[in-house]
Amino acid sequence: MYQIGVSQPYNNNLFAPGHTACAGCGQSLAARLVLNALGPNVIVANATGCLEVFSSNFPQSSWEVPWIHSLFENTPAVASGIEAALKALGREDEAIVVAQGGDGGFADIGFGALSGAIERGHNILFIVYDNEAYMNTGVQRSGLTPFDASTTTSPAGGCSFGNPTDKKPVAQIVAAHGAPYVAVTSVGYYRDLERKVQKAAGIKGPKFLQIHVPCPLGWGHDTSLTIKIARLAVQTGLYPLFEMENGEITSVVKITPKPRPVEDYLKPQARFRHLFKPGAEEELKKIQAIADENIRRYKLYEG
Amino acid sequence: MVLGAAAAGVRAMTSSSSPGISLMQEGISYMVGCQLPAVIVNFMRGGPGLGGIGPAQSDYLQATKGGGHGDYNLVVLAPSTIQELVDLMKEAFDIADRYRNPVMVLADGIIAQMMEAVEFKYEVDPAALPPKPWAVGGAKGRPKNVIKSLDLVPENLEKYNWMLQEKFKRARANEVRYEEYMMEEAEIVLVCFGTVARVAKKSIEEARKQGVKAGLIRPITLWPFPEEPFLKAIPKSKKFLVLEMNAGQMIEDVKLQVCHARPIEFKGKPGGTVFTPSEILELILSLEESK
Repeated sequence: MYQIGVSQPYNNNLFAPGHTACAGCGQSLAARLVLNALGPNVIVANATGCLEVFSSNFPQSSWEVPWIHSLFENTPAVASGIEAALKALGREDEAIVVAQGGDGGFADIGFGALSGAIERGHNILFIVYDNEAYMNTGVQRSGLTPFDASTTTSPAGGCSFGNPTDKKPVAQIVAAHGAPYVAVTSVGYYRDLERKVQKAAGIKGPKFLQIHVPCPLGWGHDTSLTIKIARLAVQTGLYPLFEMENGEITSVVKITPKPRPVEDYLKPQARFRHLFKPGAEEELKKIQAIADENIRRYKLYEG
Repeated sequence: MVLGAAAAGVRAMTSSSSPGISLMQEGISYMVGCQLPAVIVNFMRGGPGLGGIGPAQSDYLQATKGGGHGDYNLVVLAPSTIQELVDLMKEAFDIADRYRNPVMVLADGIIAQMMEAVEFKYEVDPAALPPKPWAVGGAKGRPKNVIKSLDLVPENLEKYNWMLQEKFKRARANEVRYEEYMMEEAEIVLVCFGTVARVAKKSIEEARKQGVKAGLIRPITLWPFPEEPFLKAIPKSKKFLVLEMNAGQMIEDVKLQVCHARPIEFKGKPGGTVFTPSEILELILSLEESK
């Protein structure tokens, strides 16, 4: 954790309050936890998206660390440049280079840049805050939008149950590049998040973290439920938390005491509301099957 | 995706707001090079960089003078109301097909954010659209179609580019659209497009009530830029007033038309704010005093 210094950031946080995130924003909380776990010796390159907009509205900034924003799609490339420059100057041990953004910026539009940066082996910590759609621009579906979620570009209605595709397995894809450390965590599991961030920071080479961050506005749940929803995603098996080191799964967060039915996770969210109307029973079964498969595949629960 | 869909012979479009359009510029240039029709809609916001999300007109030069690399033009249509936007969308697709070239619909963010009642005056029967024998598709029993823009023989590329220029010349001759508003005997000639023109009409009406002979030239095609209304207006005019939600872009085209025949005043709003009718009226009245 960050130690109290001479110029002490507000309330000892490296991500200061006063930003304009929505009430109950999972991403803003996760960003603060990440920075506090990393400490002040970081350089953050941030993609366009909610996090960038609500934290850096000119002339203000919540960032108590060096921070740069450029385009939507090029953040891993910008971070690569920063890392290469530090190397050229012989100052690579000076700071941890972090490239971060949302699922849109990293798993979709910036995915090519991410793939290139990992394949080149830059010493960068890549962080994807996964709120499962393009929230900043008004809830359009992304490659990480879950199956059957209603978004403005995958609306549920007479002809559709919402998003017709499964989440892109972006962590596994990154691991397949040969990244030494890949982990999935959740804002609902603070200790797990903190541990994985600090573990990643200690590893040389490209590190990748995917953090599940509920979005009350886009998911349509009560702002007081953010952490509860994040935990339910894990406890139902829909969002497995795991670590992959050199391509192999080395740890998973086990479900205790036993897996909850997916309905517990889906019901409080307006984006899945249509699944609780008559005629959608088969869809609920399909989503339960996704959870069951995760539980089997990642060995999340052995009852 | 638009490039691919257009290459396969269907009508395709995309829309974005400024930064997204910048990202597409390479693709747009390739579509011109490959002679692919499509419609690209840009609802402009303040730039440069991520800028803001307020309405602006600061992509005028990008849209009308190229945007991507290479010698090319897009027909650029600039609606000033939502009804006109609806009407122009059909025209945009027709023009794109006519020249096998992308068409851009360029509007400020206000038009994207506003709601008003519209009438859909047309119906399009997809079966009745002109055939696209050049499109890629299964080539069983016919010669294969190839869509590309690469030509490494300079002489061939030059020939190809002159062929493209012939299309732009035809568009220049046939596609000019503009509106003249209260231009009878106009001494103070406003030149505006999009939402600014809509606001200016109100100011002009008020100025006329006060005995000031103001009028408006509103280019609807920003490329090709209208010439005729300027030739008509110059003899009676005393001054031109160009108003844009940017730092001065269309004024370059107005200068090409007016040259040094009359003084041209400019007022711009770069960054997301909009003119009010009283603000424009004041500008007109101050020009009237100094004419």
